[in-house]
Amino acid sequence: MRPAEPVRSEPLPDTSHPLDVRVLCLGNDLLADDALGFRVARALRRELGDRGRSSVDIVETPESGFALLDHLQGVRRLVVVDTVVTGRAAPGTIYIIEENEDWKAGPGTSAHYVGLFEALQAGRAMGLPVAEEVVIVAVEAADVVSVGGSMTEAVEAVLPVVVSEVQALLGE
Amino acid sequence: MSDQHEGLEGAWREGSQRAGAAYTRRRITIDPVTRLEGHGKIDIFLDQAGEVERAYFQIPELRGFEKFVEGRPAEEMPQITSRICGVCPTAHHMAATKALDHLYRVEPTATAKKIRELVYSAFMTEDHALHFYFLGGPNFIVGPTAPAAERNVLGVIGKVGVEIGQQVIAMRRRLRQEIIAAIGGKVIHPVLGLPGGVAKHVTKDLQGQLQEVAAEAVEFGKFTLQLFRDVVLSNEEYVELITSDDFTHRTYYMGLVDDDNRVNFYEGGIRVVSPEGQELTTFAAPDYLDWVAEHVEPWSFVKFCYLKPVGWRGFTDGPESGIYAVAPLARLNVADGMATPLAQEAYEEFFETLGGKPVHHTLANHWARVVELLYAAERLKELADDPDLTNPDVRTLPTETPVEGIGVVEAPRGTLFHHYRTDDRGIVEKANLIVATQNNAARIAMSVDKAAKGLISGGEVSDGILNMVEMAFRAYDPCNACASHSLPGSMPLLLCVRGPDGGIVERLRRDSDGTVSRERP
Repeated sequence: MRPAEPVRSEPLPDTSHPLDVRVLCLGNDLLADDALGFRVARALRRELGDRGRSSVDIVETPESGFALLDHLQGVRRLVVVDTVVTGRAAPGTIYIIEENEDWKAGPGTSAHYVGLFEALQAGRAMGLPVAEEVVIVAVEAADVVSVGGSMTEAVEAVLPVVVSEVQALLGE
Repeated sequence: MSDQHEGLEGAWREGSQRAGAAYTRRRITIDPVTRLEGHGKIDIFLDQAGEVERAYFQIPELRGFEKFVEGRPAEEMPQITSRICGVCPTAHHMAATKALDHLYRVEPTATAKKIRELVYSAFMTEDHALHFYFLGGPNFIVGPTAPAAERNVLGVIGKVGVEIGQQVIAMRRRLRQEIIAAIGGKVIHPVLGLPGGVAKHVTKDLQGQLQEVAAEAVEFGKFTLQLFRDVVLSNEEYVELITSDDFTHRTYYMGLVDDDNRVNFYEGGIRVVSPEGQELTTFAAPDYLDWVAEHVEPWSFVKFCYLKPVGWRGFTDGPESGIYAVAPLARLNVADGMATPLAQEAYEEFFETLGGKPVHHTLANHWARVVELLYAAERLKELADDPDLTNPDVRTLPTETPVEGIGVVEAPRGTLFHHYRTDDRGIVEKANLIVATQNNAARIAMSVDKAAKGLISGGEVSDGILNMVEMAFRAYDPCNACASHSLPGSMPLLLCVRGPDGGIVERLRRDSDGTVSRERP
């Protein structure tokens, strides 16, 4: 029997002294490919070692929507790692999306939905100290609904690539 | 939750094929393309005249849960179940903790119950606030007839003002940090509940902090109710929309009530009232299988709950049909009142305005949520002020051999059941969860069907269908927590019109500015 791994308790960031960069890893390690964000966070901590840990804030969280607002603040630059299911690309496809005028300007597609972008926009609209610069590293997932499932092969295979993409974005 | 996914998927395909062979139908599929809509899907079958024969809404469901928890110690359940759901971890944590009390036949101390209910009240307050302002707000604060480009979270902030937006965010942060995290250890995955009590007692210092936040929450609740009155109730158009037939179903309702039949989120009897408002039963959580049964349809992975003694009569309302609803409107409908004074006033105003009990208008859920927000805040304050809260006696140690445990709470989205069977060492052999959305699944399917029938005529698919269908199911706030992130510029809703051969004839797409475009492949 595989024991449930302990989840890190992430204190909310202190917004009074903005950090330079945070890697925000989204996902859920109990839901198959959705574990990717957490796996990237753990691999990054290993890769960056002590030096990296002091200069880069790595946060892993299963939260979504407005709950993310806490993690978008108190930092100048944000790298978000997540899985997506667009159905328009093969599982394992890596998207790197830099914030652009389109999603700074436009609200989300649903009147009733609040996701990362809506939370960012709302944060800005309310004058909260959200990150100035946001880049997203997203991976097309095959399965995000099987409880306790392992990551699928296609997503597992790109894990090292995602980690190095994030490191490149960090200027490592 | 079921792991019969594969079998059902096969049955769905087979059912579709049979349906296609037996009738000449066009099939419209609203295929979600991002995790926003998860694995939910709307299929609309048209008859030859181009009228809607039936619309089906599929709610996303996690799979493999029962298998995953098999062989684990029952004590892990409050942690595991709260980690599965990113939206209401506290509800799962509390239902699981109560199931453990029952499993070990142990009664928590009075103070432990108060601490649990206090944390739970903070959670209900923050979740209801979030939903009312930012998820329901586009329709009810910005307005149902406002341009699509304004009916979003930025539109809500524009309408209520930046300061109020900041207040909502600040209130939520205080409730999460200064109450839930302060007592539960973590916001996301609380580690508070243990069979027979809680892990930590409340110090005098902490009680002072709780009282301060609770007092602020009550003011926030009062303010929110006033805002609802000013913005929504003063506008006839909104009231007409709430009470329109398009969003009305005469079903049964279910919810937890205390000994005086008042709304309770944490404990009590499970009361069911008929479409006429008569009490059908008030049963204890361990008897839920006598009252709740699950119906399986070939087209859906979700099992549709219905009232066992009334029976399944298909997707239809009325006293003969066992379909019932849970969530804020259902809770107000089953109760005789609210246990706190301001919420009681708001409750009376609700039923007076909407023509007495029960209220069958789905969109009244948004208003009911505001009434409950005020109750949650008032109850939070009562508990924070309780002199017994700092009593260090917060645990009764279990001594019984475990067999089976059932725990129920009212989650923000409705009644939540946790049921575990274990061996004599407390190792889980079987687990069953019925989540709020599952209780509501049949009624949600009816709402989507009604919206589709109202908007599709003579084969003409109105551009407004995506918004209307969405409004129909968002009122229930169906839980698709695992489905939360979307790419910028992507389309959460895509509607495919399919010909009799299943091929796509036309595709409707909703773009990021809310406009709908059409293309033919």
